[in-house]
Order: sequence, then C-alpha cells, then structure tokens
Amino acid sequence: MRLTRMLALGASLLVLASACTTGGGSTPSPSATATAPPSATAPATPTPAPATPTPEPPKPTVRIGSAGFYEAQLVAEIYAQVLEADGFTVERHLGLGTRPIIEEALAGGQVDMLPEYIGSTLEFFNGGKGEASGDSAATAARLQEYYTPKGVTVLLYTPGQDQNGFVVRPETADESGLAKMSDLAAVAGQLVLGAPPECETNPVCLPGLKSVYGIEFKDFKPLSACAADGIIALNEKAIDVYEVCTTQPGIAQFGLVLLADDKHLQPAENIAPVVRDDFLAKVPKPDDFKALLNSVSQRLTTDVLLELGVKVDVDKRDVADVATEWLKAEGVIP
Amino acid sequence: MEFVASVIAWLADPAHWQGRDGIPIRLLEHVELSAASLLAGAAIALPFGFLVGHSGRGAFLVLSVANVGRALPSLAILGLALPFTIQLFHVLEFWPAFVALTVLAIPPILTNTWAGIRAVERDLVETSRGMGMSATQVLWRVEIPVALPVILGGLRTAAVQVVATATLGAYVAGGGFGRYVIDGIARNQLDRIFAGALLVAALSIATELAFAFLQRRLVSRGLRAAAPRSAPRSAPRPAT
Repeated sequence: MRLTRMLALGASLLVLASACTTGGGSTPSPSATATAPPSATAPATPTPAPATPTPEPPKPTVRIGSAGFYEAQLVAEIYAQVLEADGFTVERHLGLGTRPIIEEALAGGQVDMLPEYIGSTLEFFNGGKGEASGDSAATAARLQEYYTPKGVTVLLYTPGQDQNGFVVRPETADESGLAKMSDLAAVAGQLVLGAPPECETNPVCLPGLKSVYGIEFKDFKPLSACAADGIIALNEKAIDVYEVCTTQPGIAQFGLVLLADDKHLQPAENIAPVVRDDFLAKVPKPDDFKALLNSVSQRLTTDVLLELGVKVDVDKRDVADVATEWLKAEGVIP
Repeated sequence: MEFVASVIAWLADPAHWQGRDGIPIRLLEHVELSAASLLAGAAIALPFGFLVGHSGRGAFLVLSVANVGRALPSLAILGLALPFTIQLFHVLEFWPAFVALTVLAIPPILTNTWAGIRAVERDLVETSRGMGMSATQVLWRVEIPVALPVILGGLRTAAVQVVATATLGAYVAGGGFGRYVIDGIARNQLDRIFAGALLVAALSIATELAFAFLQRRLVSRGLRAAAPRSAPRSAPRPAT
C-alpha cells in the first residue's frame, strides 16, 4: 500500500515538474523558438536534387503583442497575418493592456514586436517633455533614440494617423460656435470633459489644454479611452466633450463635431511596428522581414484605418476576418 | 521594501487628504454608494425573506434567485446597466454601480433571512399561535427577534461584499476608493493602486466590526445565551 502511494506521489510530481518546464503561457524558452517548423514553402521531395542549396534556416516564432483597443489589435493582426503568409509562426498576445503594460512586455522580452503610436509612445518615454510634434519623421527619429538602448528598432511608420481629438455634440457646436479647439476656451467653464484617467496628468491632455489653449473645464469624468461608452455618455449629455481617437467610427456615426487642433497640441500619431533587436538577429533574412512589414505599413492610410475601424467597431465584425479581407483585397496575401 | 515605503508615503502625504480626489471625499463617496446599495438590497431581500421564511412556501424561488444573483459577475451587471441608467439619469457615475451592488447585496440577505426565520423552533411558533397571536404578530414579535442574529449576519456579509466591490464604480467615472485603483492602473502608479486597495480593505474590516457591534447590541440577551435545543425541521445552513 505504501509503495503504491509513493509511486503515485512520484508520478504526480514528475508530471507537475514537466508541466512547469514545458509550461504554456507567453514566455517560451529560447530553445523552443529555435525548433519552430521550417518555412512552409520548402517542399518535402523524396528525390535528391543534384546540387541542393543549403536549406533555408527556420524562421523564428514571432510573438506579436498589442494594446487593448480595437485599432491596436487590428493593426497587430494585420502584421501577424502578413508574417504568417510569409512562413513565420506567429504567437498572438493581443489586447495585453495599456501602454505601460505593453512596453514592459516588449522591454522584458515577453513579446518580440508590437504596433505603436509614435507620438504618445515618445511622450511616454520622455516623461511628457513635449518632444513629440506634428512632424512625423522627427517624432519617429526621436522615438528611435529612446528605443535604441532598450534594444528595439522602429520600422517604417504608416502614412495614416490616429490622433487624440476632442468632440462635442452638434448642438453644442452650433450653440457656442465651436469649430476648433481655440473656440473652446470661452465656454469650457460650462462644459464637462470625459477622458481617460491619465488625461489629468498627460501633458497633451488637461495640462496641455490649459497651457496652450487656456481651456479649463467645469468638471472631469474619467472614462475608458476611445470607447463606445464615452460616445453614449456624450450623446446622453452626461458629458459635453469627449476625448476620442480621430479614426473612431462613432464620430461619423453620430455626426459628432471633431474640433480642429489649430495650435497643434496633439503630436503625430502614425503607427509603426517596433521590433526587438534580438528577435531581428534570429530572422534569417532581416531585410526581407523589414521590407515586408514596411510594404504593409505603407498601405495603412488614415482612410483605411477609418474604413477598417468601422467594420470592427460599428459592424462588430471579427478583427481577424476584417484583416484577412483587407489583405486579400490589397493582394498582399493570396 | 521600498514599494511598501512608497505606499506609506502616499498615504501619509497631506496632499492626498485634501480636495476632490482626497481620501475624505473618496471615503464619503464609497460609503454613500455602499450604504445606498445595501439599503436597497435589504429593502428588496428582507420582505421576501420574511414572507417565504414565515410561510414556508417559495423556497425554491428564493434559492434560485440567490444562486443566480451570486453567479452574475458584478462587472457584467455594471456594463449592462450603463446604457439604461445613463438614459434615465444622464449621469455616468453612481447608478450603474448602484444597480450592480444592489444585486450583489440581495443573495446573502435573502438567504440568511429566510434560513433564520425557518430555523426558529417550531415549538416557539406553535406556542405563540396558541397564545392567540396572529400570523403577523408571530412574525414580528417572535420569528424576527429570534432570527435576528442570523438576519444581521446576512446583512453583515452583504455589507462587507458591497464595500469591497464598490471599487467597480470607478470604471465609469464613479468615485470612492476605486478611483485610486483605476487611476493608478491607467497612470501606472503602483503606489496609488496599492493605497486604494488598502483603504478598501480597511473600510471592509471597519464595516465588519461595526456590524459585529450592532449584532451584539441588537440581539436580545436571552437569545445570545441560549443554544438551540431542538433541531429545527428542514432548515438550511445560513450563510455566514
């Protein structure tokens, strides 16, 4: 009896130990990535070819992360599918959380790449110094300077941007003659702002609105960023001004008035894939890898982001389906 | 170790005790929301508990409602309630959380009230009837006072759960200590998150102690001393 019990205990400990070492989750050991299956394009022919070229080394598994909201997931999914079509095995870690979390994941090596917004990410790293500007190229270059010591490379950014903006109901705009942000200063004292909690301390949000435009709101309601509940709150008059993402479909859907950022407080927010250097080192042909992603990024204009955004956020279609549909229409994947 | 120090520093910082986002105002908001939800939950659960406990009928309904109520995640209820409350009241804060927390408060109060009343010794009830008391009198003068410890236990459980869960309100522009947790997550300020969590925990414990005190004061001395002599028929175990 004692023997059986000992055997049972030993067996369960063994199972537990093996489960821990080969354990799932998002951090596979480096050895696991090296044994990824070879490129799908390599045919398995039994007949020996006369002068076989050295077989292509296996492409490493790519772990792609993304932030929570729909657009980040959509762009990440687009990159993921493009890489899969090229023979990479992709491990998706979409919707990880807000910027602090995803940057932590990238820096710590839990993910290999993710799509990032160049302006906000730059301001995140520099503690809100205000280095991000309307100049996309300069912003991206400065961002790379922050990423280099972290061992991350910023690839080509998209022509499309998704900036933060502020919307009001059409009635509010008519009543107070609001077309641009400067117009808000006069009436902001009677209006309630809805924005994410970090707006209070984010230099391009409340502090920036005050210093650049002289805007001070009557009250501030913390809400999730660029989300449907904010639009509902705006329509139901629980708030009067809502901070949106400019490609958010709800703006057009409800005829909301997006106030022009006439003093260019909001920085450029093109999207760029940021990739760990140690991952690039494992890729057999890193230049091809970069060129592939760049060619896709170049197709992501603001109109495309808006159009795809409508499909995901308004029509409520699956992100992967929308990505596949667009990639096929563009002829990027078969 | 320095994290603990930073949390203590956050709590000790006088700036965090003043103004709109200061601890006193957040405490008030948290207590307000919790108290309102508890009262609403009790207003719904107590009458049903008395009725079903006294008559003995409808037990199945009570149990089903209680189980479903317990199983529904409060966050889901919050999200579901939002579009409705916002159309009704045109404000974001308070109402969705109020709905979710009221639903949360109902099961423990309902179950305990019903169980407590059912557990009153049948001899006692029969004696009272024999003395000429009407059904209502039996309920108010005998059953409820005897079941009071258990009923208060239900209110206590509900209160502690509500206080702990009231942090949810902060998701949709609500106040209370949840504000520190949600804002801390958004701004990646770990000391704020932990301070908020500690404050909620402290309030929960204080609530527990307050109800314990209440229980001691309200329950008649005779009941506190006696242990139930005869096993009551088909009475389920009350939730403690």
